[in-house]
Amino acid sequence: MQEPRGTTIPRRDPNVVMRLARLGSFHQSRLSFMRILTRRMAREGWRFTRPVFDINSDGVGHAVYSAQGPFRTYSLVAFAHDLPPEQRSDRVIAEAWDATFALFDGVPTEADVLRLSKNVPQQEAGRISESELSLSRANRSVRLWSHMVDALASGRQPDNDQIGKVGYLMRTTAVYGSGKFGAADREVIADRPEMQVPFQAEMLSVYLTRTFARDLIQHMARAKGGDGSVMLDPAIARQLGIGNSTGLGMAPYIVNHPVLFNNWIMAREEAIARVRSVASASAAEVALFRDLLRSSALSVAAWRSDHPIQMDKLARLRTELDALNAFVAGDDLINDHPWDRLLRWAESNLGEDGQEFIASLMLEPYPDLVDGLAHCMADGNADAFRINGAMPVGRVRDSIEECFGWALNLDWAAPENSARAWYVSEEKLEPRLGERFKEPIAEYEQPLAPARDAALLHSALAEWSAKAPIAEFLLKHPEHRHTLRRVQVAAIAPYGEIRDNTISAKLLPIDMLRCKLSFFGATHFDPRSDRWVRICMYAGAPYPEELSESNADRWVYPEPVANG
Amino acid sequence: MSHSLNEVEATAKRAARGAGFCWGLAEEAGKAARWLCANGLDGCGVLARLLDDLAGEPLSARSPMSLDGDWAGPSGRLCPLMAGATLSDCASRLNDGDIIMSGVMHPALILPFAASAAQQSRKEVTVSWDGLTAMTNSSGVCLVDAASALTSPYAAQVRVRAGGTADPVTSHVTRATPDGEHWATLNRFAHRTYAPATEASRMLGAGAGLSDND
Repeated sequence: MQEPRGTTIPRRDPNVVMRLARLGSFHQSRLSFMRILTRRMAREGWRFTRPVFDINSDGVGHAVYSAQGPFRTYSLVAFAHDLPPEQRSDRVIAEAWDATFALFDGVPTEADVLRLSKNVPQQEAGRISESELSLSRANRSVRLWSHMVDALASGRQPDNDQIGKVGYLMRTTAVYGSGKFGAADREVIADRPEMQVPFQAEMLSVYLTRTFARDLIQHMARAKGGDGSVMLDPAIARQLGIGNSTGLGMAPYIVNHPVLFNNWIMAREEAIARVRSVASASAAEVALFRDLLRSSALSVAAWRSDHPIQMDKLARLRTELDALNAFVAGDDLINDHPWDRLLRWAESNLGEDGQEFIASLMLEPYPDLVDGLAHCMADGNADAFRINGAMPVGRVRDSIEECFGWALNLDWAAPENSARAWYVSEEKLEPRLGERFKEPIAEYEQPLAPARDAALLHSALAEWSAKAPIAEFLLKHPEHRHTLRRVQVAAIAPYGEIRDNTISAKLLPIDMLRCKLSFFGATHFDPRSDRWVRICMYAGAPYPEELSESNADRWVYPEPVANG
Repeated sequence: MSHSLNEVEATAKRAARGAGFCWGLAEEAGKAARWLCANGLDGCGVLARLLDDLAGEPLSARSPMSLDGDWAGPSGRLCPLMAGATLSDCASRLNDGDIIMSGVMHPALILPFAASAAQQSRKEVTVSWDGLTAMTNSSGVCLVDAASALTSPYAAQVRVRAGGTADPVTSHVTRATPDGEHWATLNRFAHRTYAPATEASRMLGAGAGLSDND
């Protein structure tokens, strides 16, 4: 990653950044995948159309939404269903949904839609093809849905309070991409400029899904109320995001893709380092920061959760925001490396949540320093998989000590340090987390405890000559091969490894989920247990017909703020 | 029905793990099957046949006993995933002379690893057995003569050498169309990696708790 001239303050130490408590406190930023997408679509003047909306008065049918960029068109094919309430569940074990979707690469023909209609509603039980980039589904928020249909049908706008309590009309669960269930592989689209940044196809699918949900509720209100119905106020519509329920499937993802994960974290860390290195800020930059800080406080105030861990975190974050406001009221933030000063103050006075909140927020005034880093976030290094067998044992040992030194003295035989095991269930082929000493799962364990495995490798290397090539060791000990690969990757990807115990009795998988979701740009994390979480996506964002360069970026901040 | 290459890789990896390979070699199996499919060869078929043929014996019996001299396993047979991964790990040894492997099961699985060695040395690597010659480099593979030996279940000797006389250019494909029987075999092995569901795991493992309806 190339540093611009003038980056005088180094990136933060991976030993600080890669702890779970911190990763589980990340916030969205300029480098979030949703914002990268909306900025690009506005800048390039994408055109949006709805060539098909064939849905009956019971809400059953299909629709097609097309997004046309400078080179290609992508289309969301949406199927709306009439789901009996007892079947409505977001869990992966569900078999029916209110709506199902595929993102089509191009503009689908009637034959494509017919083929998809036989497969997409079945989700995991169906098959899609190389013409599709993602497969997803969504359920309605029952209470907000019926409130809004009733209100609009009877000629009233929906109640703001009701909208605030839920925040979305529909929530998606899994959005499958990258070759799953027959879809096109990531490699098929990775070279397209508009798809080079990770998860752009999935983010586009969700963006169009939000539009579909708005259109469908309008359609249902009209079907119910006829001429007495009213159009939904666009300002109210903009408040609505798309919910998302996310479970354990995301946690293994960030362990299984260390180079990709490194690139996300490193891009953000580089952005933070660049902004900390700004020697003096302009009045306009500081004014924008202050505006967005006020706006963020509104967002934090509206953030609801019933989960005790999150309630505690929110209470602390709100208190810390008060302290932050007091600090920035007494500092002009103009001279002597103001952002570095601010972050160092936060490190001494706030918890991880408050620190990461500031770290993300202070990037906002600096699109020129930050936004280009989006292009460093993909994983284009297929060669990282290949083991360098000539590397001497001594260097392997050094690398382990560098990245996993913290794990070498941990007592891995102690039950609390190996309490959990990650496995894949036969039932839905989904990752699960079990109790190693209470359930018969150890023999099915997935390799998702890199730190324990690194400690085992380190110990196995103890008797080997420092000069021996590691290939000789691997010939005798292939059981360490997956770990050796990670250790070699860690040497080029310092932020690729979680530097915490992923099988500890104290592990909170929601920390891993929040980290990944923050890079999507999600807000209002609402854990529903220690291992699944609800979030909101695109709340505040302009709809396709409103999207412009003036509103494409800072929509995540709830008050209208003039673009600086 | 066609499959994505990610599906091939994921299924092959799980299948190899289910057949008893350690994770690191299972990862190699996934990449190897994917590479063969991407180059238009039947990666799923050859892996399925290998896993079916590997019964009972520990991996150490089918691993090279030493990197010096010809590579041979204690059982007289070499697993192509273990021998192949070792070839990739020791790519620089090709500069010192040919590597000869004795008694290689399903030798087509050596090719992806030869390509990996070629990428490291940035020149062609040639693999030959039973009259078949295959040249690989970073862009693909080309087969010369006796292509039927590609599906051989066994080669008494496989010779790997640096250099090549042809320019291997494969027209890469982005989909795989494995034979249904072979795909089923891979899935049968993959299934062994899945923990049977229990009511406890259903409730706790995925973290139920609060209702997801609102």
